[in-house]
Amino acid sequence: MYPPWALFDERRREHDENRLWFWNSMHFPVPMPAFDMVEVDTPYYALGGWQNRAFAVPGAMGVDYRIVNGYVYISPNPVTDPEKIAERSRFFQQRAGYYYENWDELYARWRERMEALNREVSEIPVPGLPEYEPEAVVFEGGEPSWATLLASYRRALDCIERMWQYHFEFLLLGYGAYLTFSEFCKQALPDIPDQHISQMVAGIDVVLFRPDAELRRLARLAIDLGVAEAFREGRSPEEIEAELGRSDAGRRWLEELEEVKDPWFNMGTGDGLYHYYGSWHDDPSIPYSSLIGHIAALQAGEDIERPTRELAERRDRLVGEYEALMDEEARQTFRELLGLSRKVFPYVEEHKFYCDYWFQSRFFNKIREFGALLARHGFIEEGEDIFQLSRYEVMQALEELALTWSTGGEALGPHHWPQIVERRKRILKRLEEWTPPPALGRMPEAVVDPAIAMLWGVTPQQLQEWARAQRDGSGNELAGAAASPGEVEGTARVVRSLEEISEVRAGEILVCTSTSPAWAPIFSKIKATVTDIGGIMSHAAIVSREYGLPAVVGTGTATSRIRTGQRVRVDGTNGRVTVLDG
Amino acid sequence: MASTTMPGHTVSLGELRRAAEPHFGGKSANLGELLASGIPVPPGFAISAGAFGLFLEENGLRERVSEVLRELDADDVKGLRSVSGELYQLICSAPLPEALEGEILRRYREIAGAAGEENPPVAVRSSAIGEDSEQATFAGQQKTYLWVRGAESVCEAVRKCWASLYSPEALSYRARMVAAGSEPAMGVTVQMMVDAEVAGVMFTCNPLSGDPSTVAVNASWGLGEAVVAGEVTPDEYRLSKVTGEVLHRSIGRKHLEYRPDPASAGVRTVEVEPERQEISCLEEEHLRALVEVARRVERHFGTHQDIEWALARGRGLPDALFVVQSRPVTTVRRRGGEPPRARSAIELVMGTFGVVSDEERGRS
Repeated sequence: MYPPWALFDERRREHDENRLWFWNSMHFPVPMPAFDMVEVDTPYYALGGWQNRAFAVPGAMGVDYRIVNGYVYISPNPVTDPEKIAERSRFFQQRAGYYYENWDELYARWRERMEALNREVSEIPVPGLPEYEPEAVVFEGGEPSWATLLASYRRALDCIERMWQYHFEFLLLGYGAYLTFSEFCKQALPDIPDQHISQMVAGIDVVLFRPDAELRRLARLAIDLGVAEAFREGRSPEEIEAELGRSDAGRRWLEELEEVKDPWFNMGTGDGLYHYYGSWHDDPSIPYSSLIGHIAALQAGEDIERPTRELAERRDRLVGEYEALMDEEARQTFRELLGLSRKVFPYVEEHKFYCDYWFQSRFFNKIREFGALLARHGFIEEGEDIFQLSRYEVMQALEELALTWSTGGEALGPHHWPQIVERRKRILKRLEEWTPPPALGRMPEAVVDPAIAMLWGVTPQQLQEWARAQRDGSGNELAGAAASPGEVEGTARVVRSLEEISEVRAGEILVCTSTSPAWAPIFSKIKATVTDIGGIMSHAAIVSREYGLPAVVGTGTATSRIRTGQRVRVDGTNGRVTVLDG
Repeated sequence: MASTTMPGHTVSLGELRRAAEPHFGGKSANLGELLASGIPVPPGFAISAGAFGLFLEENGLRERVSEVLRELDADDVKGLRSVSGELYQLICSAPLPEALEGEILRRYREIAGAAGEENPPVAVRSSAIGEDSEQATFAGQQKTYLWVRGAESVCEAVRKCWASLYSPEALSYRARMVAAGSEPAMGVTVQMMVDAEVAGVMFTCNPLSGDPSTVAVNASWGLGEAVVAGEVTPDEYRLSKVTGEVLHRSIGRKHLEYRPDPASAGVRTVEVEPERQEISCLEEEHLRALVEVARRVERHFGTHQDIEWALARGRGLPDALFVVQSRPVTTVRRRGGEPPRARSAIELVMGTFGVVSDEERGRS
């Protein structure tokens, strides 16, 4: 089910036991289906490749991973030899320096490459394996269908490898600049709230805001065209589109919608790392429910525009006031770091749209086409079953399909794969019921990789805290990172997967491993957020700050130590969670 | 002879500016500055240090005082006590110069007029000369008399303030620290009393970390004395000076409060009802108002301030909030040192990634 190198193995036991492994529940909160391991393997090749071999970050190589009962554990590889660090420093300064200097130009080229890749993956042909080859194959020397099939599958895998390579090209450098700015601010002003730092930097006009801006425009258009009546609460997208199709004005609106869909409906409904996340294309009820809401708000006379001017004013005011509190020398550095952070930040936000949403939804849909083909030939029962096979097994199945289709022989696949699929589905269900420990192995003395501290909240203090929690897990207080200030008490709701979100009631405190954009709808309902994993830049932290909810992230054990229905106090200012009734 | 110059020895707080500090003391001068910049300060007046000189003069006490000061032996505790007692008796029983008494009467009646009350309660506070500078430790040894009613009692409290210059502690301090023979000088501040429902202190920076973007507020029920004297665990709030939001809040157990004594003059401590002890004594709107005042006071003086404030009972904002004292913060030291210095931002970013230059390696 999982590649052998991704498992703990007796033959390297000594090496693996001597280091810390922590559960990457932020990216992989549920057990990995076999195919989805491609989302573990390829990102870590790419991250390591950039960090270790391309930029040569002085103290940090790549990130190792192991699968434990279907859950992903990771462990960074440090560089400890001072000679080596010095050698890598020279590489890093020159190479990273080049990127910072030429950022805008490099990033513009990156966007073009990324858009081309997204088109490429969508357009990979998946031949239907017809009864007889088309004439072009016979008379014009075209590629045979079986060869195209295999080449196409390899190309899809090639595309995702390239995507992850692009994904990490700027990410480390982007986070590094931001982290430096953030730490500088905290040195100069120890009490500065994290959200003020991010507000001074965060982009106001970045691509991620565009999809909703387009929906607001479509909402106004529906009113202007006099077709707003079609958008009634409770109607499905099909019903709305059917009504619109019956009038000229409605058809004009639908044309406009088609214009907007590419690329803006590539907005994701999840983090993109599992095959079952999709985009607005795949689930139009999401954009349609926004449209219905926007139209109703407009008709009620509300202003639905993002207050970009106010946001910009607030940003400038924060910058001005904090600057004024510093001496001249500090102010100079503050300005330079702020400038650099603002330059890199669009990438930090926008790569999610290009890679995690747009590419990933296209990629998985492409794999679904192969799944449908395999299902048509009886290799699996339904197309979605393809995700229960590893990418190597899919290759094997496709090869046998190509062979038997060509030869007309009897395939073994239909007898072989369906039972494997069944067994794995059962295993995954069982594994979902297990709560993995936040960390395994031996605590390191220091965390040298800035990305690890920033993305996962894994700091030396956090490690101590986890170790303490594992030792005397009975205490009623949990510590984590103070991610969004404020203190509230309320009833806990422990949510382990996306499906359980609907159980959250208004006014509850969300306790989860981590969150992703797909969780967005519940933030307007809840009072506070507590997560097992995550740093101050994690999704849960950012969204909590946007909604003004207290949040404590990276507690390590909240989902296993808190039960739904318990009263808890969340102190997002100091990073403490107290269970009030045992 | 002296009477002709007396009017210059009392002045309404609103007329004072910082330049008056050598004559009226730091407390009065600062209050004058605050009033001038539109900060809500309870009305009142100041008595100059010179007034005390005249008082000694007219009562023929100067000789005796100078003599005593010359002969001080800091190590003779018993001797200090008896000298202090003698001077206290002398000062408190001598009459005020007639013109000065008249001035105080007139100024007190002005306060009464403003208050719409015949004998309004006032605070009579020592306003030390040079308090803000080298003699900072001297400040705490001087007395404040709260909830003083009636002109006669005010005059008595003024004499007691003066006499506190010769308390055993003050005498001992002077004998050790101050050049022999130099005369102590002290003004007096008389200020309308705020019947505080809640009061406390605030710093216009974080007193622990030194963060200049923070306002740190301590608050408790009743008059501010309970907070200043450390007799209760106050509520503590840390607020962003930039946005006004509450960054940190901890609710203390405020078991007692200072209230005016209804039976007589002065104040007394009373037990706070259990249900009020551990609830926040400030609402969001009060905190917002405090941050705003802190910003204005700091901007006016140009340095971090240590501010005593009070919220008057039975009044809504903005009328409820008063600043009763402000002085520069001198005791804060930065924790964790200065922000990193580097030749460029890029250099700092490189540091984040653990870059060591050959030069640095050579040094280590």
